[in-house]
Amino acid sequence: MTNFLTRRGAALLAMLRVWRATLSLTGEVVVAALSPAVYNSATRTVVMKQIYFTAVQILVPFTLFAAILSFVLIQIVVGTAAKYGLSEYALEMVVRLLVLEVLPLVTALFVALRSGSAINTEVALMRINNELEALEDSGVDTLRLEFMPRVIGGMLSVLSLTAITSVLALVLAYLAVYGLQPWSLPDFTRVMGQVFGGGILAGLGAKALVFGLAVTVIPVAEGLATPKMMFMAPISVLRGMVRLFFVLMFIEVASLAFKYI
Amino acid sequence: MPLRANLSVLDNIALIPQYRHNLDYETASGQAWNLLLLSGVESAALKRDPQLDHVERFTAKLLRAAIEQPPIILIDRPALLLPDTHYPRFLRGMLERLSDHLNDCWILDYRWNAPLYHPHPPSPAPR
Repeated sequence: MTNFLTRRGAALLAMLRVWRATLSLTGEVVVAALSPAVYNSATRTVVMKQIYFTAVQILVPFTLFAAILSFVLIQIVVGTAAKYGLSEYALEMVVRLLVLEVLPLVTALFVALRSGSAINTEVALMRINNELEALEDSGVDTLRLEFMPRVIGGMLSVLSLTAITSVLALVLAYLAVYGLQPWSLPDFTRVMGQVFGGGILAGLGAKALVFGLAVTVIPVAEGLATPKMMFMAPISVLRGMVRLFFVLMFIEVASLAFKYI
Repeated sequence: MPLRANLSVLDNIALIPQYRHNLDYETASGQAWNLLLLSGVESAALKRDPQLDHVERFTAKLLRAAIEQPPIILIDRPALLLPDTHYPRFLRGMLERLSDHLNDCWILDYRWNAPLYHPHPPSPAPR
């Protein structure tokens, strides 16, 4: 019994240590990202490359996927609404479902799988191979040159991909509800005005930014917490991805509760 | 230290003066390009780490170290970085080409590899 409690207590303390490190890293990265002095020529180059590899490179395939997903969901919602005589609410339901909830979450999960897992692996291997210490010993600020660019790339990636796929979903929703004609634009605009109040838009932007922060800071923090043994690298990625999944779901549930309860 | 995987060889070398002296990208990449020309591996300038062969990767790391002209550059066990290459001759040629940009360069290698670094004795004249 004592052994069991000791093991559970040690595991709990280890988990709390990782969470504290994650929150501390989040604060440091946010402060650094908002400090103009940090952006010298090298940081700008690395940040731009990171944005390219995290956001621009995946733009076309992800937009195509989001268009197919949006098209299928719009058809389901519009068809079901027509079946129950609720066609007048179909557009609002589509926008609330897709633009406010599904697309930001799917974008964050996609960036997490593509970039978050890669960041977790990179940082874990850098730690295991003592590269972070070597960089710091040679006077390089790892927060500025290694971690902050990845976080900015992730945040901008989630924000921009959410915005692009949301606009695409709105166009598809218009076509599904009104058809290929411009005469219903005033009706469409009125519904958009009802759905997208200032608070909702600000909340959507904030949610995308917090998603972007989570998909990069959690993998970096988990990579930094990796014990210096090569076989711990895959375990670190596994832990990082599981924690990231629960954090993304928690943010989504909190956002739903805030809006609708 | 490995090269940054998401930067080209040119960008990896230029990043050092950009970081140390806040040089703009054009000036820093100009310096990096001159070193690449001098070393003879300019064809690797736009490649990224996974696309490089051993010689190109070694040269990129050497140029990254040399661009700041530090007092000493230490090459630790070059055989590990240059497998399948007759590295003493390659190193001699590379260090000669970069001699204007190097202050002092030490090569650390196993004692039993010392004969590799001695020039070959002249072959006997045919009778």
